[in-house]
Amino acid sequence: MKFGRIFSRGVIFDNPVFVQLLGMCPTLAVTNSAENALGMGLATTSVLIGSNLVISLVKKLIPSKIRIPSYIVIIATFVTIIGMLMKAFLPDLDRALGIFIPLIVVNCLILARAESFASKQSGLPSIIDGIGMGVGFTVALVILGSVRELFGAGTIFGVTILGSFYEPARVMTLAPGAFLALGLLLALFNKITSKELNEL
Amino acid sequence: MRDMIKLGLVLLIICAISAFILGVTNDYTQGIIQARAHEENVAAIKVLLPEAEEFELVEDANVTGVTDIVEVYQGTKNGEVVGYTVKSNPQGYGGRVDILIGISIDGIITGAKVGDNTETPGLGTKIADAAFINQFLDKATTNEFQVTKDPQRENDIETVTGATVSSEAVARGINRSTQLFEEVLKNR
Repeated sequence: MKFGRIFSRGVIFDNPVFVQLLGMCPTLAVTNSAENALGMGLATTSVLIGSNLVISLVKKLIPSKIRIPSYIVIIATFVTIIGMLMKAFLPDLDRALGIFIPLIVVNCLILARAESFASKQSGLPSIIDGIGMGVGFTVALVILGSVRELFGAGTIFGVTILGSFYEPARVMTLAPGAFLALGLLLALFNKITSKELNEL
Repeated sequence: MRDMIKLGLVLLIICAISAFILGVTNDYTQGIIQARAHEENVAAIKVLLPEAEEFELVEDANVTGVTDIVEVYQGTKNGEVVGYTVKSNPQGYGGRVDILIGISIDGIITGAKVGDNTETPGLGTKIADAAFINQFLDKATTNEFQVTKDPQRENDIETVTGATVSSEAVARGINRSTQLFEEVLKNR
């Protein structure tokens, strides 16, 4: 498979959020602002690249009976490393994301990529797949975060977009807003991609 | 049986490698995290004792073992002790209430702040408002503070209406802190 194809599958055609609907817990929980969404996306991407690479390299050494616990240990190691580094160098982001950093361990997106891609492919394609899926996840989170921040607070990345004429709808930054925004974005994404596919 | 041992061994090796990597990372980041936590702590307590320039945790058994006292920092300026900040956590209405006060070396309360608490929102949480907590400011540590609805004397503190238990908790925390200062810290 061509690398470009692997990458674009992750970003668009198999987008983890909009198409596969994986990793809904962080998707809904931390996208109350574009900045948090970007932080979460990048943290997940780095874990995904690391775990994909290591799993693709050691796949022959791991008996298939214990592959799931082994993958979890490898993923948990990367998540803990990222968590420690974030605490040390990005304390503000660490505070904003809180419990959702350690919870990357149970993000099914990462285990899904390990199981369905990295355990069958060699190193380089696995890295590309990790980057593609990670970018797809990050982009989806940032879009969702931006939409919620825009309507919930009138800003994107803290920059005021909607002026004083707009009364912010606080609900968009709260839990119900996450479901509303995600549902509408999913509908929009499906509409766009289905049209594209028909034209192909 | 053989299979089981082999599987266990493989898992053991994976876990051992990951534990080693985590140990190295922790070694590297721990210092930075602690330094940052200390910095944040100092920034928070500097407000309470503006005179001091450097802070150092007091690790004296006479201090750390006292009821309701969490931690004490010694504030210095040019090597001389100018005061202390005391953190206490007396039992409030809905759980323990963190209270931080700064005491200058001549026994005056220079700052008071209510930290984390689980008091009733809108009622008990008013103990953190300046209107209540600032009543303790600039008072001498020799006072035994009492909360009352009708303050008359120097050591009377006006209760937050509807939150007597929370108000009493603050007074108790501050009394314990000032007592600690009078009995131990002052004579160090």
